[in-house]
Amino acid sequence: MEFIRNFPFFSILLSLGSGVLTSIMNRKVARFWNTFVLLAVTVMSAVLFVYMLGVGEPYTFMMGHFPAPWGNEIRAGVLEAGMALFFCIVMLLSMKGGEEHIDREIEDTKANLYYIMINLLLSSLLALIYTNDLFTAYVFVEINTISACGLIMIRQSGRTIEAATRYMIMSSLGSGLLLMGLCVLYDITGHLLMSNIKQSIAYVYTQGIYNIPLVASIGMICVGLAIKSALYPFHTWLPDAYGYSTVSSAAILSSLVSKGYIFLLIKIFFRVVGFDIIVDSKIVNILFVFGLLGMIMGSVNAIMENDIRRMVAFSSVAQIGYIYMGLGLGTTFGIVASIFHVLSHASTKSLLFVAAAGLTDASGGSKRFEDLTGSGYRNPMAGIAFTMGACSMVGIPLFSGFISKLLFAEAAVQNSLSKMLPTLICLAISTVLNAIYFMKTVIRLYTPKSRNVKKTEAGEAAIVSFREHPLYNFTLILMIALNVLLGCCSQPIADWIISGINMFG
Amino acid sequence: MILGLMLTVILLPFAGGGLLQLIKFKEKRSKQCFIFAYVLANTLLTYILLAQGPTDIIRIINFAGAKLNFSLKIDGMGIVFGGLVATLWPLATLYSFPYMEHEHNGRVHENIFYLFYTATYGVTLGIAMSGNMLTMYCFYELLTLVTVPLVMNTLTHEAVLASRKYFYYSLGGAAFAFIGLIFLIVYGDSLSFIFGGVLTPDAMRDKKDLLLFIYVLAFMGFGVKAAVCPFNSWLPQAGVAPTPVTALLHAVAVVKSGAFAIMRLTYYSFGVDFLRGTWAQYLLLCIVIFTIVYGCSMAVKETHIKRRLAFSTISNLSYILFGVLIMTPLGLVGALCHMVFHGVMKICSFFCAGAMITQAHANFVHEIDGMARRMPKIFGIYTVSALALMGVPGLCGFVSKWHLAKAAFQSGNPLAVVGVGGLLVSALLTAIYMLSIVIRAYFPGDQFDYGKLHDDIHDPDWRMLLPLFLFVGAMFVIGVHSAPLVDFFTSVAGGML
Amino acid sequence: MNYMILLPVVLPVIVGFALLFLHEGVFRDRRGLLKVTGVSFAVSAALALYVISGAAGDRLILFRLVDDIPVYFAVDDLGRLFAGVVVAVFLLAGFFSFVYMSHEKNEKRYYSFYLITFGVLMGLCFAGNLVTLYLFYEFMTLASMPLVIHNGSKEAVMAALKYLFYSFCGAYMALFGIYFLYRYAIVFENPGDALNGTHYYEIAHMMGFVPGGSLDMAAVVESGNATLCLVAVFLMLVGFGVKAGCFPLQAWLPTAHPVAPAPASAFLSGIIVKGGILAIIRTVYYCVGVDFLRGTWVQTVWCILAVITLLMGSSLAFKEKILKKRLAYSTVSNLSYILLGLSMMNAAAFTGSLLHVVFHALIKSGLFLFAGALIFGTGRVKVKEFAGLGKKMPVLFWSYTICSLGLIGIPPTSGVISKWYLAEGCLESGIAGLSWIGPVALLASALLTAGYLLPLAVNGFLKAPLDEEALDKYREPAPCMLVPVVVLAAATLLLGVFPTPLMEFVGGIAAALK
Repeated sequence: MEFIRNFPFFSILLSLGSGVLTSIMNRKVARFWNTFVLLAVTVMSAVLFVYMLGVGEPYTFMMGHFPAPWGNEIRAGVLEAGMALFFCIVMLLSMKGGEEHIDREIEDTKANLYYIMINLLLSSLLALIYTNDLFTAYVFVEINTISACGLIMIRQSGRTIEAATRYMIMSSLGSGLLLMGLCVLYDITGHLLMSNIKQSIAYVYTQGIYNIPLVASIGMICVGLAIKSALYPFHTWLPDAYGYSTVSSAAILSSLVSKGYIFLLIKIFFRVVGFDIIVDSKIVNILFVFGLLGMIMGSVNAIMENDIRRMVAFSSVAQIGYIYMGLGLGTTFGIVASIFHVLSHASTKSLLFVAAAGLTDASGGSKRFEDLTGSGYRNPMAGIAFTMGACSMVGIPLFSGFISKLLFAEAAVQNSLSKMLPTLICLAISTVLNAIYFMKTVIRLYTPKSRNVKKTEAGEAAIVSFREHPLYNFTLILMIALNVLLGCCSQPIADWIISGINMFG
Repeated sequence: MILGLMLTVILLPFAGGGLLQLIKFKEKRSKQCFIFAYVLANTLLTYILLAQGPTDIIRIINFAGAKLNFSLKIDGMGIVFGGLVATLWPLATLYSFPYMEHEHNGRVHENIFYLFYTATYGVTLGIAMSGNMLTMYCFYELLTLVTVPLVMNTLTHEAVLASRKYFYYSLGGAAFAFIGLIFLIVYGDSLSFIFGGVLTPDAMRDKKDLLLFIYVLAFMGFGVKAAVCPFNSWLPQAGVAPTPVTALLHAVAVVKSGAFAIMRLTYYSFGVDFLRGTWAQYLLLCIVIFTIVYGCSMAVKETHIKRRLAFSTISNLSYILFGVLIMTPLGLVGALCHMVFHGVMKICSFFCAGAMITQAHANFVHEIDGMARRMPKIFGIYTVSALALMGVPGLCGFVSKWHLAKAAFQSGNPLAVVGVGGLLVSALLTAIYMLSIVIRAYFPGDQFDYGKLHDDIHDPDWRMLLPLFLFVGAMFVIGVHSAPLVDFFTSVAGGML
Repeated sequence: MNYMILLPVVLPVIVGFALLFLHEGVFRDRRGLLKVTGVSFAVSAALALYVISGAAGDRLILFRLVDDIPVYFAVDDLGRLFAGVVVAVFLLAGFFSFVYMSHEKNEKRYYSFYLITFGVLMGLCFAGNLVTLYLFYEFMTLASMPLVIHNGSKEAVMAALKYLFYSFCGAYMALFGIYFLYRYAIVFENPGDALNGTHYYEIAHMMGFVPGGSLDMAAVVESGNATLCLVAVFLMLVGFGVKAGCFPLQAWLPTAHPVAPAPASAFLSGIIVKGGILAIIRTVYYCVGVDFLRGTWVQTVWCILAVITLLMGSSLAFKEKILKKRLAYSTVSNLSYILLGLSMMNAAAFTGSLLHVVFHALIKSGLFLFAGALIFGTGRVKVKEFAGLGKKMPVLFWSYTICSLGLIGIPPTSGVISKWYLAEGCLESGIAGLSWIGPVALLASALLTAGYLLPLAVNGFLKAPLDEEALDKYREPAPCMLVPVVVLAAATLLLGVFPTPLMEFVGGIAAALK
């Protein structure tokens, strides 16, 4: 069974390597290869996950058997394995769901570029999840950024290029802050491996020296990652990036890329700085406030939006607000809720993006709400999927969104009054706001202005039958199943999140 | 066995509605027979189930954590609500057949309508039989989802607006009720409905004000469905739905689910001993009393018949909540009485209004001048329901008001006495808005030309009249002989069932 | 069980409803309708008399209406008195309508509600507890409403609505009191009656009518709710007072009474308003008990309200030009005599009040029937238009004069007796100020009464008619209309001359209250 321990390394290497390989393939082969890689990584992660559940102990994997502080380490626990598995699944589904769009929207010459980016992105995500080395983390953050940029830009239109530029600028700012934070940490501790840094920081902190630089570095890391994961008010790049890129990109960006940073942040909390020190430093309170702000403002923006994709994008802002609010609660419960919400949001948001693509297809490619009227009848499966996703977002029981809301609220109730009440009230208000824009959309989908073919500004609307797009519909069904699975069998998932967090420590 | 039966009655309407989509019926009549058959079968099964009497809590699946599970049970409250729903549903379905034939709107999908119409039946029974807060919350949200398509049914612009509003209000309300759920998880022994409440003594001692605040939030959250002021504006707007929906759902099933949830919340989760005499009780009593008077006043102002009845529902729902908020067993008796009796009365008056719409296309009060001569049965029945709603003795409305008032006085709560005043003011306003319709229909003024009325205005066929006559019979029978029912409610409210 | 008590209540109601639902074509002409009505009314009246005579037994318990309170009938002297008056007035008014109604539409409806109202009033008179009383009180409002609205004109519809809403307003105020008092209902022991299951019988008496009060007022004081109780009782007084046209909710009366057909006005003004009086008597003297109320602010305010209404009613009547409206205002004022007497809470005033109930019922019905006969014959409505008609219709006008004298209170007519007792009761009462204001008000009102009633008689006989030519057409009304008026006038006179049996009967009721 020792062999299984190599899987994280294999999967990173496989995806990284295939990124290089893909550059010489043509579209079809590239797509096939990409699917294969994704499947392989999924299987490996699954095996590892099962193995980790059995072992119940984290392990450190030294690449090339160089011990610290020179070697580069990978560390895997049950949480890491689970996250990797989940990310792979979501990515696979998003790719498959948007496959037709990729074919349609991306020029032939650039097709394999797209798959390169996807492979790189996968590798960087996996690396962010598994790495035990801060500098490696930084490197992969950069890779992540660049590949994400590519994903946005690949569909060439004015809006995407502008969005990519914005994204680049904001991301660079975030990376810069992150890098500075890491430098300061390195200055203080002299280490780059997470476990080592943690020991030193614990010592430094008890000594009471370097407190200000320490807090400053934590602050910079937090803010840097927050910018990169589009925490309100650093979200300005997001609506365009999600709204105009090809659908797979949007789904992957919103459900995975930002979550990768968040996972890194959580990892830094537990593995690098130590959760007690984080809480003690009051940094979390800042995250908390901005999280709450994001929850409300994201939804308010979404309500005012008149474009379905941008609306879903703004909803992401709100959901990221939820996650940061959970982090900001400063308790393990809050972290558990946040991690669960990472899962739930990833599964729901990709579902929504993919479903929205189907709906716009049935409306002649227009994303405007007037043109979408009645599209739920024209593309039934996408309509149902969007409705399910919306229900999950609003927090209807039996869907994943309900459980994350439940966990957030439970975490909040166990907190002090000054954080509990704002959380609960914001949670409730945000639910109402969510209900407003999601249900407004759902109702519109089923308001038959024209049930049949209709001309929109963008083109001809048509009935999309179930059988014409088997892959697309099948993907949607799988996504819904994933969502309901999260909603109904939340207990084991919450259990492994908790045990995973314990393994961090 | 019991569990199987429970799941059957919840799922059968869904299954029937699903089959309805698949089977292609040649004739309208055979389709109607099919719908009626499974609704009736469900009702019979429900009766059999409820006749088994109270059961323990039956856990079905574990949802999350030790407390969060999906469980069903039958207790006294469930029997009352389930029985009410099961009795009214087949009658309303019968009524809906001719009504839906009259909806001359090509875009109306009858099959979809019946799918959701009957699915609501299952969901409502689910609410009645929920064994804990979480289960009820789930069904409660589901109720919102399955009823929105019904409001939207006509697909006109107003219908879409109304359903949107209904959606926002309901989901928003549930969001606040959700906070209550969370606190019960954290500060309660369990989520199950246990008469007397589940809060732990420590929590009641240490977090009193916080818990009261949360109770108020949760009350208002569930109160959205029960149309408590200021969250009531969705209800009159939702009147754009077809009358069988307005009558059954927006006068009984949906709105009473809100009231039922509040009863559960108050008596079975937070516990009245904890709540009685606190600021929360007084605050909510003020709100409810205000709603009682407000609803009636708006009804007097409204000239659209169905909307007027909807405002009347708002006021009457607050009667129920008023009974709940007295927070004594007697108060709960009053609340249960009014829940059941108001269900019968209001569905009856709504059905009459529906008959006026289908037969005479009269939507507004001024359009029904002199119609009593053409539709004597409908207006006769409407008059009886009006009298019952006013609380004329000998009809059922008097009985429930009597019990509410009795409870209010016996509680010794000064605000409750004010509430009785509110009840009576509202009774007077009820007289105004109900009887003005009656008088218009019977006495259009001596200048009125009966020739102006269309010749095809006449009483509807038996499928509409039969339920109405049954309701009228029920109003009289309950009005003069309420003792068995009230005795039953008393034992329920005493926590004995 | 004494189910006979139920008959005069149920029979007319059933016949009434049957008439209502029968198709128009069932009766080929008026006569068929009149026969059915006449016969059924005669039977009901006979049954009512049978019950009044006491032969049918004195109590009957029906089903439980709410809680432990059954629908309960008990025939006591007070009920007998009221029922007797009801039968008399309905008999005459019904007789009168046989002709009068011939020129109105929808006769069938009129007679059906006439019968229903009669049945309901019987129920009201024989009601044995407060809840039953309330039940019939509400029915009375509902049953008499179609009579007000009868001619269907816009004015009548508005009047009917006003009538309904004022009545319900009052009824609900009263209901508040009933709700409150229910807490203090005592279960009376009465082991003597073996016919009924003892337990059932005991609870039958909850909120029942017992001379001197049936409620546990000691418990009220104990529970610290004395003030609330006074408020509740006061609300009941004002509420039931609505029917009795008591200030401040009297405005419906002058609107509603005149628009009804004359015979209906007669028993609306003569009888239905007495329903309010009966309810007040039952509440104050038979449930709460005067001991609790005597000397409290409730009594004072009640007196003041009564005095205000009394003077106001008379003055408005004095100003009013239209005959039926004038009579309606007069009703307002006269009912306040009764209320004033009741508010004094002593035997003399109570006797006076009851006597005035009887006398006013007879006199006012007589006056309204007179007005009806005049309107039927001449089509005129204003007081001055009747000048000079006395010569053509001497019997009618003489009857009117006698009735007027009765209402003013001039010997030897009956009115003087009741007023005497009322004044005496006021003086005895010993309430500061009011003990002499009362009699003064009575006197002043009597003067006003003379002022608004007598000119019609005087002008009718002495003044020249408005238009001589038209005069020839007029003659005495048909016997069907004339006889009731004459009978009522005769009764006014006879009761004034031989008041002893009635006084003894009423005295008995008053004595039982001690």
